[in-house]
Amino acid sequence: MKRQNFHPAPSQRELHGPNYWRSLDELAQTPGFREKLEREFPAGAETLAGVDRRHFLQIMAASFALGGVGLAGCRRPEANILPFGKSIEGFVPGLPVYYATAMPQRRIALPLLAETHQGRPTKLEGNPAYEPHGGSTSLAAQASLLDLYDPDRATEHTQNGNVLAAAAVADLLAGIGAAAAADQGASLAFLAGASSSPTRARLVGALRAKFPQARWAEYEPVADEPPAAASQAVFGRNLRPIYRFAQAKRVVSIDADFLQAEAGSLYYAREFAKGRRVKAKEDPMNRLYVAESGFTLTGSMADHRLRLASSRMLGFAAALYAQVTGDHAYDALAQGLELPPGWIAECAADLAANKGQTLVLAGSHLPPAAQALAYAINAALGNLGATVQFVEPAEPAALGIGELAAAVRAGAVKTLIILGGNPVYNAPADLGWAELQKSVPQVVRLGYHRDETSGAAAVNLAAAHYLESWGDGRTLDGTVVPVQPMILPLFGGLSEIEVLARIAGEANADPYTLVAATIGGLAGGDGAAAFQRFLHDGLLAGSAYPLVAADFNGGGIAALASAAPAAAAPSKSSLEVRFVADNKVDDGRYANNGWLQECPDPMTKLVWDNAVLISPRLAKDLGIQSPGAMLQVARDETENFTKGKEGAPLAELTVGGRTITAPLHIQPGLDNYTLIVPLGYGRTAAGRIGTGTGFDAYPLRTAAAAHVAGGATLRLTGERLVLANTQEHWSMEGRDLVREANYDEYVENPTFVKEEGMESETPPVLGETGGSLTLAEQAAQIPRGNSLYVTPKFDGVHQWGMSIDLNTCIGCNACVVACQAENNIPIVGKDQSIRGRVMHWIRLDRYYSDGQADAAAFGGEGNRATPEDPQVSLQPIACMQCELAPCEMVCPVNATVHDEEGLNVMAYNRCIGTRYCANNCPYKVRRFNYFDWNLRAIGSFYLGPAGPKGMPELVKMAKNPEVSVRMRGVMEKCTYCVQRIENGKIQWKVKSAQAGRPGDVSVPDGTIKTACQQVCPVEAIVFGNILDSGSEVSQAKARAQDYELLGYLNTRPRTTFLAKLRNPNPRMPDYNALPLSRVEHDRKNRPAGFQESGSAPEAKPPGSAMATGPDRLGGLS
Amino acid sequence: MSNLFPKSVNKLPLQIIIYLCVLVSIVTAGATYYMTPKYTRVGYAPIQPVPYSHALHAGQLGLDCRYCHSNVERSGFANLPTAQTCMNCHDQIKTTSPLLAVVRQSYQTGQPVPWVQIHQVPDFVYFNHAIHINRGVSCVECHGQINQMDVVAEAKPLSMGFCLDCHRDPAPHLRPRDQVTNLDWKASSPEAQLEQGKKFVHDWNVNPPQSCSGCHR
Repeated sequence: MKRQNFHPAPSQRELHGPNYWRSLDELAQTPGFREKLEREFPAGAETLAGVDRRHFLQIMAASFALGGVGLAGCRRPEANILPFGKSIEGFVPGLPVYYATAMPQRRIALPLLAETHQGRPTKLEGNPAYEPHGGSTSLAAQASLLDLYDPDRATEHTQNGNVLAAAAVADLLAGIGAAAAADQGASLAFLAGASSSPTRARLVGALRAKFPQARWAEYEPVADEPPAAASQAVFGRNLRPIYRFAQAKRVVSIDADFLQAEAGSLYYAREFAKGRRVKAKEDPMNRLYVAESGFTLTGSMADHRLRLASSRMLGFAAALYAQVTGDHAYDALAQGLELPPGWIAECAADLAANKGQTLVLAGSHLPPAAQALAYAINAALGNLGATVQFVEPAEPAALGIGELAAAVRAGAVKTLIILGGNPVYNAPADLGWAELQKSVPQVVRLGYHRDETSGAAAVNLAAAHYLESWGDGRTLDGTVVPVQPMILPLFGGLSEIEVLARIAGEANADPYTLVAATIGGLAGGDGAAAFQRFLHDGLLAGSAYPLVAADFNGGGIAALASAAPAAAAPSKSSLEVRFVADNKVDDGRYANNGWLQECPDPMTKLVWDNAVLISPRLAKDLGIQSPGAMLQVARDETENFTKGKEGAPLAELTVGGRTITAPLHIQPGLDNYTLIVPLGYGRTAAGRIGTGTGFDAYPLRTAAAAHVAGGATLRLTGERLVLANTQEHWSMEGRDLVREANYDEYVENPTFVKEEGMESETPPVLGETGGSLTLAEQAAQIPRGNSLYVTPKFDGVHQWGMSIDLNTCIGCNACVVACQAENNIPIVGKDQSIRGRVMHWIRLDRYYSDGQADAAAFGGEGNRATPEDPQVSLQPIACMQCELAPCEMVCPVNATVHDEEGLNVMAYNRCIGTRYCANNCPYKVRRFNYFDWNLRAIGSFYLGPAGPKGMPELVKMAKNPEVSVRMRGVMEKCTYCVQRIENGKIQWKVKSAQAGRPGDVSVPDGTIKTACQQVCPVEAIVFGNILDSGSEVSQAKARAQDYELLGYLNTRPRTTFLAKLRNPNPRMPDYNALPLSRVEHDRKNRPAGFQESGSAPEAKPPGSAMATGPDRLGGLS
Repeated sequence: MSNLFPKSVNKLPLQIIIYLCVLVSIVTAGATYYMTPKYTRVGYAPIQPVPYSHALHAGQLGLDCRYCHSNVERSGFANLPTAQTCMNCHDQIKTTSPLLAVVRQSYQTGQPVPWVQIHQVPDFVYFNHAIHINRGVSCVECHGQINQMDVVAEAKPLSMGFCLDCHRDPAPHLRPRDQVTNLDWKASSPEAQLEQGKKFVHDWNVNPPQSCSGCHR
């Protein structure tokens, strides 16, 4: 049948237009096309109807290039470029601008450099100009960036629910000031958090001068500095100790977590690492004794660790004091203390042998008598002025919250101004603060979130984040640092000093002016120039507190000792509770910070939850650790772990008549009858992330027992709560993942790492000839060994490598969140975390070892119960950038390839989501985007397109524009911060070209730092060019204790590790000749040569466990 | 049983196969020709909110590219000029021209001129201008003879293949660094270009990245 084609009658347009438009008839009339037309031709759109041919052709001209055969819909999206109207000085789109600022953290401030892209901060680094921190930052500082972009932050000022305009707020505050002037401020009270700001101090002084009767109270739930009473008693002044760990050969920590929780921990960690780092066998190594009740990061670094309840620490200090000084005046405090025989004696002997180079410190939460005794011990050892120095910080006197509560109860306070903090949530439970606050007639609250305290305040002012405020602060040693805004307050928030200035009736309440005035006053001379210098440098030179010569007078200790609370040893029926600020969310202030909630707790590895930590002994007593329980989750299931998920038993914890319900988590290494209760969770009004996460421990806390409470009981409810535990591995199962040795063994045999691990038993990885090349030659020439695979040509100008020093890594997790901030790594929520889908590119593995894990195989009873007193080994793992990467070989679409400079590169757009690469990776460092974590909201991933879509605009601002944001279905992993490498190379080449040296393309060492390297306080991570034999990383890899992780797999990782060393005292009763993880390993892998602990093992010839044959270690470099 | 199908149907499978092959090859050829950047992007010349003519300013008047695109030597992103840059001249020249109304308004109110972006690469590609300009790659290599365009049209496909063609063999595309913004510069002969280019590659250590990490982060 012949076809007949019926064409529609040509329209007027067609008759006049070119012929081929006939076939595009429909196209010319589809709404989509019309829309496109209108978008592209704003002037011409309305002339489409009824237009003459010439005009029409002009308009259609661009459409020719559209490839008009129906592909207009395939075009990439239209984009606009929007330049400014007026040029901005110094603004170069595409280049970040760095500003010096500081993060206020209670009584100290951390100096920072904020990297801003297009006017908004995207990453925080330490300010390298402040030498004590060396450019590093802490976990909290890294995560605080996300708080700026918190969609749940307060965005308006309200009064009884009605929005207040800025002018109305100014009037309100001025009115308060005017009203207070009438009665000299007798009915005015302030409650603020601690601050080191000189400007705030100045304003408080002005307020005091104007309103002498007003009450100024400060409250911080967490004690991170020694109580003033201690220093008053023995020095007669309020002094702050500054510990010089770098000069200390022997350190004794009495329940002081100086690496993480105490104020100044960033500085202390850095200094401690200087004493810890061993570059050659001639280097000395310090020794750390720790007595603690929980298992802190400081405890994990300890060479000798004593588990002791916090309430008994005073007794411990007294016993140590008696041993060191011979003065038994305070022996009564140590009554009933049961310590391993010889522990204190040998410890004291070790201290005495190193006079002037030791350090004894007591935790800030302990009673003042303990600190006073610690000062006394230091005085006796000659440490005062050497390793313990003092400064006298200038801080305004303040009331405590208890005194303020008493005034409120008495009805003396009519106007209460609450600046920051969250007293309704974290005030001592016996104060009844919520009711008290509601009873005050006028409450004005300056808060960052609409939180628990906001609910009880009539006027709520939105606070500005420190990244958008003017302010200042002082570091630990008193150096004044600026707080500079990176961006105008996003929601018109106010800063503390502005509120105070308005109430004080200052003429100019502009925070910039206030800070400039303070700095001008401090600097003297040309105030304006000094202020500009101050803002540029990020610190005020020479403003540190002068060191104070402290005259020790032991007479005051007796009074403190008698005032100290009596302590009985905790028992099964009378447990002791130790309240600790959580390692991540602090006292609760960061509860709504997704990065911190998802960052695994360094010891428990829990995310999105807190739990009451109990010791294995208590677990056995409670019956929740059944006999025969295996440690390794994969091998067996227990009541507590099912299918890899931790089902924690819920229990009712009762302290002093108050009860809460909380999950129990068994934590090895705790004092037997101490419960560690982390604060900061269970918030009821924290925002979408923090609300309802974890349990609230504050209801148990009273003013008298704010840190340590006795007489607690636990009662199991029989229910379970699934906790998201990201590492259940409690043992390395006899493998050589973390290689350790005692310092003495290292000195005798610096290359001990070569005798551990499979490499000592297998043929040399690089072959006979390859092993004898230098590192640079190896990188460039790739000796093949016996590999069948074609390897890429490593002919780049640089070859990147990294070295991680396990000896100094303290496990602070700053690298984890720094990487997250730099690389736009999303958070996934608790449910997905339980499924093991946490996206961190660098993880911190934590292993416990007690030497008994595989003892069952050797006729012992081991591996049947959780170890009570293990050692902990930490290991940060990121992509090893293997030269012969197992992941590259299996990608079906070649999405992961190797580049010329040794990086294993991920092309996200090519990845189809097979996940074979993650399967093949022996280090398990690859992360897959199972869902579009950015587009979909946490909790609604399984709804897919049916669920809520889109990311709040505010959160998008946190993303780093230099790195792709990955979508669902794409694999990602550490890239050695390839964006920093490429930008570094580009900037160097541009600089060289513009300086007339276009051939100089090799970037000098230290120019390019990966995010993890830059943030690490102890400089454990070193990155650089291994072609350059003088670079820091080449030197690190040249050290004797350098080893590859799973090197025998012939992956040839570019990231290598430096073995961990422990420095135990052979005379101590708990001395182990081998680190306990070595015991596991040696017992399993070389039973013939294994010697029981008690004496150092004789050096074994390499490969002794294998059959005879030629020495196969060859020339491993 | 009698034949169900006529004999001519015997040829049907073969016909189908041949037709399918022909169809697939036509579709492939069509897609390759019409659906690749060389066709879909080259020639794209949207109408801009301000009828700015490069032929006049850069060509006739001889303005250097960097006068307006001032950050091309410093940053990855080659900026468009702010309205202030335009007003540097246009507050004295053609001060009341209706064609410049948008610019004047932008200068006064700060509202940006909504230029339509012509040269785009996908979001997962990170192209850096500064490294190219400073290393002897002229604007003309990727943007074409802008100084002769009244309306800017995309001259090159800017596909990955286009980038790799140069990255694999940069010598034919390099020129002395001081001639980078001289869009009319040409080497005296193709042989001279190659010889000079090779010399630059050697002297400047030009080693453009060819693996993914060069542009994909």
